[in-house]
Amino acid sequence: MRTIYRRSITIRTLLVGGVLAALLGAAFAVLVVAIREQQEAGRAALRSQRAIGAGSALETSLVNLENGVRGYVASGRERLLEPFRVARRTYPAQADRLSRLVADDARQQAAVREITTGLDDYVSLWALPLVGLAEERRDVAQSVLASGTGRERLDELRAQLAELFARERAVAAERERRADRRSSTAVTLGLIGMGLVVLVAIGMWLSLRRSVLRPVERVAAATREVADGDLAVHVPADREDEIGTLARSFNEMTDALRRSREQLDARTLDLERSNHDLEQYAQMASHDLQAPLATIDLYLKLIDRRLSDASEEELRELLQGIGGSTDRMRSLVRDLLHLARVGRGDAKREPLDAREVLDQALDNLAGPIAERGADVRTMPLPAVTGDPGQLCLLFQNLVGNAIKFSDGDTPRVEISASVSGGEAQFAVRDNGIGIDPTHAERIFQPFQRLHGEDRYEGTGIGLAICQRIVAHHGGRIWAESEVGSGSTFRFTLPLADEPPPSPAPPRHQPTPAAAA
Amino acid sequence: MTRRLVFLAALVAAALALAACGGGGDDDRDSPAGTASKPAPIRLGTKNFTEQYILGELYAQALRAKGIEVELKSDIGSSEIVDQAMQIGSLDMYPEYIGVLLSEIAGRSDRPDTAQAAYEEARQFQRGRGYELLAMTPFSDSNAIAVTPATAERYGLRSIADLRKVPGGARIGAPPEFRTRFEGLVGLRSRYGLRDARVRALPIGKQYAALDRGTVDAAAVFTTDGMLDEDEYVILEDPRNLFSFQNVAPVVRKAALQRTKGLAEAVDAVSATLTTEAMRSMNAEVDLDGKDPANVARAFLQAKRLL
Repeated sequence: MRTIYRRSITIRTLLVGGVLAALLGAAFAVLVVAIREQQEAGRAALRSQRAIGAGSALETSLVNLENGVRGYVASGRERLLEPFRVARRTYPAQADRLSRLVADDARQQAAVREITTGLDDYVSLWALPLVGLAEERRDVAQSVLASGTGRERLDELRAQLAELFARERAVAAERERRADRRSSTAVTLGLIGMGLVVLVAIGMWLSLRRSVLRPVERVAAATREVADGDLAVHVPADREDEIGTLARSFNEMTDALRRSREQLDARTLDLERSNHDLEQYAQMASHDLQAPLATIDLYLKLIDRRLSDASEEELRELLQGIGGSTDRMRSLVRDLLHLARVGRGDAKREPLDAREVLDQALDNLAGPIAERGADVRTMPLPAVTGDPGQLCLLFQNLVGNAIKFSDGDTPRVEISASVSGGEAQFAVRDNGIGIDPTHAERIFQPFQRLHGEDRYEGTGIGLAICQRIVAHHGGRIWAESEVGSGSTFRFTLPLADEPPPSPAPPRHQPTPAAAA
Repeated sequence: MTRRLVFLAALVAAALALAACGGGGDDDRDSPAGTASKPAPIRLGTKNFTEQYILGELYAQALRAKGIEVELKSDIGSSEIVDQAMQIGSLDMYPEYIGVLLSEIAGRSDRPDTAQAAYEEARQFQRGRGYELLAMTPFSDSNAIAVTPATAERYGLRSIADLRKVPGGARIGAPPEFRTRFEGLVGLRSRYGLRDARVRALPIGKQYAALDRGTVDAAAVFTTDGMLDEDEYVILEDPRNLFSFQNVAPVVRKAALQRTKGLAEAVDAVSATLTTEAMRSMNAEVDLDGKDPANVARAFLQAKRLL
C-alpha cells in the first residue's frame, strides 16, 4: 500500500494539490486575521481619540467649575457663578461618555471612576460648601479660598486626566503598533506562503515533467521508432506508477510484435528454403527419374529393332533391364514420398524406448544384415521423445548405410548413446569406407551421391530423410569420418519427459529398408 | 493557531488582573449607594490637618469594625467649609473642636468657664440645627501662639499681649482662615489690641518651619501638635482667654444617628480613649516619623482593643 501511495501519480498529484490548497488557505487566513486586527486597531484608535475628546470636555467643565466658584467668591456676583452651574449640570453626562469610551480597558475605567469620584467630591465637599459659605460670610469664604485647596484638587484631577489621556494614547499607539507588526508579519507570512505555493507548483511541474512528460515523450519516440520498423526498441520500465505500467505495456507490445515478426521471418525463411528445396527436388527428381526412363526407352528401342531376330533369351534379358529400371524408379518415388511425409509435420511426440525402436529397425534390416554377415552391436540406449515410425526409419537408414558402405570386410556396426544437457546423443559407428570430410555436409542433401550408382546402389535420399527427421525432433545430425577408417554418424534427440510405457506394445511398422 | 490562543489567554488574564487591581483600589472610596437591606454608608469628613486625618481614621476604622459602612472624606477644608458640606447634605459626620464650633460656627464670642459648659453650649447649638454632638474627648487641642525662645528673649515676650513689642507689628504664620476667625486675628485685635499684627497665610503644619527660618515672628499652633517641643518653642500665655477649650466632639446628622445602630457607642468608645498625651503622640508619629495616619490609628485602636 505504501508503495502505491508513494508511487501513484494520481495520489501524488492529489497530495500536492492538497498541500497547495492548505498553503493557500493558511496564507489567506493569516491575511484575513491581519486585516481584521488592523480594522480593530483602527476602531480602537478612533475610540481612544473620542475618549480623549470626551476627557477634554470633562476637563473644560472642571475648569469652569473652579473658575465659577472662584469668580463668585471673589466678587460676590451671581452672574459669575453661571459657568459653575452649567458645568455642574453637564459633567456627569461627560463622565459617563468617557467611561463608556474606555469600557474596553479596565484600568482606564478605574481611572475614570476615580476622576469622577474626585469631581463629585470637589463639587459636594468643596465648591458647593464654598458657595454656601460665600452666601453667608463672603470674607470667610475668601479666606478659605486663599488656602488653595480647591486649586490643588483641580490640579490633581487635571493631572489624573492627563495621565488618562497619556495612557489612552499609549494604548492606541500600542494597538496600532501591534496591528502594524501583525500585518507586516501577515504580509511576510502571506508572501512566504505564496512563495511556497510557487515552489511547490514548480516542484510539481518539474516532478510531472520528470515523471510523466519525459517518460511519455520517450514512449512516443519509441512508438515512432516502432512505426519506422525498429521492434527491438525498449523504454525504461523500472517505475511503479502509471507511467511504469504504460512503459511495461509498451515493452510487452514491442516484444509481442518482435516475436511475431521473428516468427514471420522464420516462416518466410522456411518457405523460401522449402521452395528452393522443392525446386531442387523437382530438378533432381526429374533428372534422376529421366535416367531409368531413358534406359527403358533404350531397351524398348532394342526390343523393337531386334524383335524379329532376337532370341527369346535376349528378349528376356532386355525385359529384365526394363524391370530393373522400373524398380529403381519405384524406390526413387518411394523415398521421395518418405521425404515429403517427414516434412508434413503430422509426427507424434511420445516417450519411446530407443532400444525398442532400434530393434524394430534391425528387424527390418534382417535381410541385408544376414546377406552381408554384418556384426551389429548395441549399447544401452536412453528413452527419448519422438515419433516411433520416423525414428525407426532414422535408425534403419543409418544402420543400413553402415552395412552398405563397406568394402570386403565384415561390416561392423556399433550403436551407442550418451546423455548430456537434457538431450541424448546417439552414435552409429561403422568400419566402412568412410567419407571425405569435405563432403561431410553435402551428404545430407537429397540426391547427393558420393559414389556411382553402379558401385553402391541407392536413391541418394536416405541421409536427407535422416536429416529431416532429426531436425523435426529438434536435434542435429552430423558425420565424423575419414576416408578408409569408417564413419560415425551422430545425432541428438530430446530425452523422454516420463518413462515410456513398459512393456512396449509390439510394433508392426511397415518400414521398408530405405537404403537397401 | 495554538500561539494565538495562548496570546488571547494571556490578554484575558492581564485584563482580569487589571480589573482586579482597579476594583481593589476602588473599594475604599467608591461605595455604591446602599442596597435596600443595608443602611446608607456614613459619610465621614475631616478637616485639613494631621490631627483630623488621624481622628477620621480612628472613627472610620472603629465603625467599620462594628460592621458600619463608612465613606471617609479626608482633608476637606476648614470648619466653615465642612459645616457647609454638612448643611448641604454632603456629609453625615465630622469631628469638631467645641471652641471652634462655638466661636466660628455659632459665632459666639463669650468664653465658657469649663470645658463641660462649652460642650453643653455647643451641643445645644448643634441640636437646634439637626445635628447631635457625641461625647467629647478628654484631650483639648487648644489654639495657641508660639514663638522661638530667641524671639521671646529678644523682645521679652511672655504673653500674647507682649506681641505689641515686636517692631512694625508681629508677623504671625497661620492658616488662611485665621484672618477671619475670632480665635484668630479678629480676637487678637479685639482682646489684645494687636492692631499691627499681620497674618502670613500658611498651610497648617508649615508654620514651624517658617518660625525656624524667621520668616514669621509668631505662629498659630495647636497644643497637641506633635512638633510642639517645649524646648524649641515657647507658648505665649493667654491671660484674656482668647483661646478656649478645644476638646473634640463628633458632629453627626441626627438622621444618620437614628438609622445607624451602634454608631454613637462605637464613636464614644474611641473618643473616651483620646487623651492629650495619646493625641500628641499620634500626631508626632505622623508629622515627625512620617507614618501613615491610617496605620497610626490602627495601631492605637488595636492597643486599646477597639479593633
